[in-house]
Amino acid sequence: MKPLCLLGRILLVIGCCLVLPAGAHDAMPPLDIGQGGKCVDDPGFMRLNHMKLLLQQRDETVRLGVRGGRYSLAGCVDCHASKVNHSVLGTDRNFCQGCHTYAAVKIDCFECHSSHPRPAMESRR
Amino acid sequence: MAFLFYLAFCVLVGGLAWRMVTYARTPAPLKIPTTPAPTTVPGVVFRMAREVLLFESLFKANLWIWGFGILFHFGLVLVLARHLRYFTDPVWGWVVLIQPFGIYGGMVMVAGLAGLWVRRLAVERIRYISTPSDHLMLLLLLTIGISGLSMTFGSHPDVVGVKRFFEGWQTFSPHPLPDSALLVLHLMGVAVLMIIFPFSKLLHAPGVFFSPSRNQVDNPRERRHMAGWAARFDKETPHG
Repeated sequence: MKPLCLLGRILLVIGCCLVLPAGAHDAMPPLDIGQGGKCVDDPGFMRLNHMKLLLQQRDETVRLGVRGGRYSLAGCVDCHASKVNHSVLGTDRNFCQGCHTYAAVKIDCFECHSSHPRPAMESRR
Repeated sequence: MAFLFYLAFCVLVGGLAWRMVTYARTPAPLKIPTTPAPTTVPGVVFRMAREVLLFESLFKANLWIWGFGILFHFGLVLVLARHLRYFTDPVWGWVVLIQPFGIYGGMVMVAGLAGLWVRRLAVERIRYISTPSDHLMLLLLLTIGISGLSMTFGSHPDVVGVKRFFEGWQTFSPHPLPDSALLVLHLMGVAVLMIIFPFSKLLHAPGVFFSPSRNQVDNPRERRHMAGWAARFDKETPHG
């Protein structure tokens, strides 16, 4: 390996990178967040931890009988079901499916639970 | 970080191309297939496939290295396939299907690497011939593997943010990388790996295809084997 040749190549690449346009395009994937409003926790925190919170809530509800906790799947769906198809699933713009399809992460929730808001919530909208 | 990956990508692609051109130009003046060798071209293709996919000669040489090597390489294939979700949009169907297997692949890969390292440290005569680069290479791969598994099983980064980062990277419109020390460690490791790849023992990946003892057909009587330079020499000085 000739060191000069390697150095030249690295400099060329650095040069190329410097002249590249440094813009940023935003909001990908575009999401239909439904009614939205104030979340039960910080959105950034929810983005990273919603699955853990929901699993913990499930365990507390099923094993300890604790109802009415802060984090509930039905609560998520109530606020975030699309106003178009009344669901958090269905298209790649819907609240759950949007990111889950984008990142190829499977959603187990809705094989048992409803992806539509509860009737009481629906009538309030 | 985006810049580091442009650099690493160029070094990897450029370096590999340069190495492969060098390999292709290196004369192979002798007919030296390791016998018993196939006597037809399809036979050689089949032999090479066995060598590349099943590590046949390693299997015959040393079962321990072969076992750990198979674990590592096959795990790596699954892991790489799982990671395609960050670089394709929409994600390809088969990539979605193999997502869970990618996680098993990660565990198997780390187990294989750990086995290879234990062997290097525990077998005295192997330890004696191991150079710092042998150890550091395993350390680097283990760092990448363990940091990756830690993100799957411990502290999740924002995977949507990670994908947006790499989409921006592909279209030259950089996005910020999500905050995660593990993610930074993981990606730095990958960048270092890409940069040292063309200058290290990892070159066995393209190199195996250029190995004369494996890629030659055993037909010295049917067809005379001549290196290019020797053929020219033959023409220029006719024998008496």
